[in-house]
Amino acid sequence: MRILLTGAASPLGRAITDELGEGHQLRLFDSEPIEADERHEVVTASLTDATAVWSAVRDIDAVLHTGEPPAQLPSDELARDQQLLDEATRGTHILCKAAVEAGVKRIVYGSSLDLFAPYPEDVYISEMWKPLPTPAMASMSRYLGELTCREFARDFHVSVTALRLGMLVREDEVAEQAPDLMWLDPRDAARAFAGALQRDTSESPVWSRRWALYHICSLPPNPKYLVSAAAGIGFEPQHNFAANWKSV
Amino acid sequence: MKVLFLGASGLIGPHLTPGLVDDYDLRLTDVKEHPDGIEVEHLDITDYTQVLKAAQGMDAIMNFTVNRSDADLSFHVNTCGAWHVMRAAAELGIRKVVHSGPQAVRSLYDHDFDVDQVPSRPSTGLYGTTKLLSAEICRAYARAHGIQIVSFLFNGLHDAPTEPITGRDFPVMSVVWADLIQACRQALELESVPGGYQEFNLHSHLGHEKYSLERAREILGFEPRPNMAEFYRRPVGEVV
Amino acid sequence: MAAKKKVLFLGASGLIGPHLTPGLMDDYDLTLTDVKDHPDGIDIDHVDVTDYEQVLKAAQGMDAIMNFTVVRNDPDLSFHVNTRGALHVMKAAVELGIGKVVHSGPESVRNHCDHDFDIDDMPFQPGPGYYMATKMLSREICQVYARTYDIQTVCYLFNGLSAPPEAPVVGADFPPFTIVWPDLVQACKLALEIESVPGNYQEFNLHSHVGQGKFGLERAHRILGYEPIRNMAEFYRRPTDA
Repeated sequence: MRILLTGAASPLGRAITDELGEGHQLRLFDSEPIEADERHEVVTASLTDATAVWSAVRDIDAVLHTGEPPAQLPSDELARDQQLLDEATRGTHILCKAAVEAGVKRIVYGSSLDLFAPYPEDVYISEMWKPLPTPAMASMSRYLGELTCREFARDFHVSVTALRLGMLVREDEVAEQAPDLMWLDPRDAARAFAGALQRDTSESPVWSRRWALYHICSLPPNPKYLVSAAAGIGFEPQHNFAANWKSV
Repeated sequence: MKVLFLGASGLIGPHLTPGLVDDYDLRLTDVKEHPDGIEVEHLDITDYTQVLKAAQGMDAIMNFTVNRSDADLSFHVNTCGAWHVMRAAAELGIRKVVHSGPQAVRSLYDHDFDVDQVPSRPSTGLYGTTKLLSAEICRAYARAHGIQIVSFLFNGLHDAPTEPITGRDFPVMSVVWADLIQACRQALELESVPGGYQEFNLHSHLGHEKYSLERAREILGFEPRPNMAEFYRRPVGEVV
Repeated sequence: MAAKKKVLFLGASGLIGPHLTPGLMDDYDLTLTDVKDHPDGIDIDHVDVTDYEQVLKAAQGMDAIMNFTVVRNDPDLSFHVNTRGALHVMKAAVELGIGKVVHSGPESVRNHCDHDFDIDDMPFQPGPGYYMATKMLSREICQVYARTYDIQTVCYLFNGLSAPPEAPVVGADFPPFTIVWPDLVQACKLALEIESVPGNYQEFNLHSHVGQGKFGLERAHRILGYEPIRNMAEFYRRPTDA
C-alpha cells in the first residue's frame, strides 16, 4: 500500500515507519524535516497548508494520521493552545477532505486514552464509556480531531478507524519507574495502526462499518483500560511492562 | 388485575412471570410447553380468534412472543401477532398493553452519549424490521383507541451477578430479571402513558452515560436496584 | 430595583443579532459587538472573536456572554470564528468568573431525521461541511468548559429563523423547524435567567411551529419553560367551509 503518515517525526511516527516501512511505500509528513531511508518520500509542511496536503494525498491508498502535535509550538500558552486547536481541527479537516476527494479509502487516526483519566480507579474503561475531555488543549484537541474524522465516515465511502492510544513510553526506557495503567509501548501502538489498515480488506459490499473505534493500551496485571475489542484488528500488546508491575 | 401473558414459555417469560404471579391474576399462554413443566394454555398469536378468546375478561395484555429468524414466522408472529393483540384490545375495551422487542439503537449510536429517544434504526434483519413494524401498529392503536401502551426494548437480559466480576466492563444495555419485573409492574400500574405509547430501552447498568434511563425514571419511576455496574468494579488498593 | 444584567453580545450585526437584540435591550444592559457594521447603523463595538485579547477585554464586567458569531463557508475562518472563537468565549468566561454563556449553531437533525418523528434528543450528526463540523466542535468545547468550570451554558440550534407571517399563508405547509424572532427573544431571556441547567450544558433544537409531530420541544419546555408564544402553524391552515 502507498501510505501517507502524518506526525512522522514523532516517536509514534517513527515506530510506525519501522513497523510498516518494509512492506509498504511510505510518504512521511511532518512540519519538521525527517531523516529517512531513501525509499520513503518526505514532505515537510503543515497540515494547515491546504496546497501541501493536496499534493501529499495524491496516489495514496491510506492515510495514517497520528494526531501527534508538531514539535515546534509557540511558548506563549494561549498561542500554543490556539495552534494545537487549529492543527487538530482545521488541519485534520483539510487532510480528511483532501484524502476523500483524492479517492483515499482508509483513514486511521490516533486519538488518546487520556480522555478517560477523570474516571475513578475502580471503573473498567471500554469503548462504551463517554470520553471526558478536560480543557487541557493537548488532550481536548486530540478528541476534537477524532470527532472531525468521524464525520467523514458518515458522508463518504471511506473507512475511518480511531485508535485511542495510551501514554506512549518505551518499555526499555522506563526500567526503574513506577508503572502507569495507561502505558503503551510505541511498537505496540504501531502494530495497532498496522492492524487497523487491514480492517476493511474484504471485497464484500458489507465488509464493515465505515467508522470504528478501538482502545489501545498495554496489559498490566490488573488492567483498567480494556483492549479486548481491539483483538478485532489483531491487536495484542507485546510490551506489558511486567518488570515494572512486579516491583509494585 | 387480570393479565393475559403471551409467550410464557419463551426466553423471558419463565424469568418474568414468577415475579408477577403474586400480585396479578396471570393467564399464562404460549405455543410451546413451559420449560419448567408449569401448565400453560396453548395460544397461537398468529390466530386472531385464539387471541380474542384468551383476552376476554382481561384488564391488560402482555406480549412477550417473538420469532427471531424465520422468514415467514417472524412477520406472522412479530408483526401480525402484535396487530392481533391490539385489535383484540380495541374490540374488548382493554386499556393496557405491555409490548416488547429488541432495542434498535445500538448499531448506530454506540459512539454517542445521553441517547434516549432517538429514531430507531433496526436495519434490515427480520427480527429488527418485524418488531419495528409492530411498534408502529401499537402507536396507531394507541392514537385511535386510547390504549395505553408501554413497550420494553432489550439488548440483553440475564440473572443478576452474585459476585464481583473482574477484568471486564459491564455489558451494554443489559437488564436483570428483577429490574424487568419491577418495570413490568410499573407499566401495569401506570395510569396514563404520555402520548399513549412509550418505549424504553431498559437496562440495569448505570455508568457509561450512553443509553439514558432518564425518561424511564420520570415516567415509570424505574431505577436499577441496585446499579448492576457495581459488580464490575476494578479492584484497587492492596488487591491485585 | 435590581441593576440589569450586563450581557456581552458577539455577532450583533449578523443574520440574527439585529432581530434579537432589540427585544433584549429593555431588560438587559447589552454591549453589542461585531466585526462588521450594524445593518441599521446602530453604534457597536468592534470585537473580533478570533482575537482572544479583544474577547477578554470586551467581557470585562459582564454577567453573561451571548455568542452569535459565525462563518459558514470559509475553510479557514469557519474554524477560527466558530471553533476557536467558542474557545475564546469560554476561556474568557473562566478567566473573568462569568457564569453564563448562551451559544448558538445549526441544527443537525434535518439531514438524517427528515423521515423520523418525535425527535427531541438526538446525537449531533453534522457531517464534515465547514459550517456544521466547526460548530459541532464548538459545542464540544463549550461542554468541556461548562462541565469543568460550572459555567451554565445554553446552546440554541436553528434550522430557519424568520419574522412571523403577517397574514395567513395559503397553499403551503409551514416551514419545518423554523423559529420566529419573538420566540427567539423569549428563549434567550429564559437562557439568561435560568439558574442552572442539568449537566451545566444543554442544547435545544428550537422552533415555533407545532404540528408535524416531527421536531419535539418537550425538553425545552421541561427545562427552560419554553413554549412558542403562538403556534405559528396556525398561519398555514387550509381554508375550509367551517
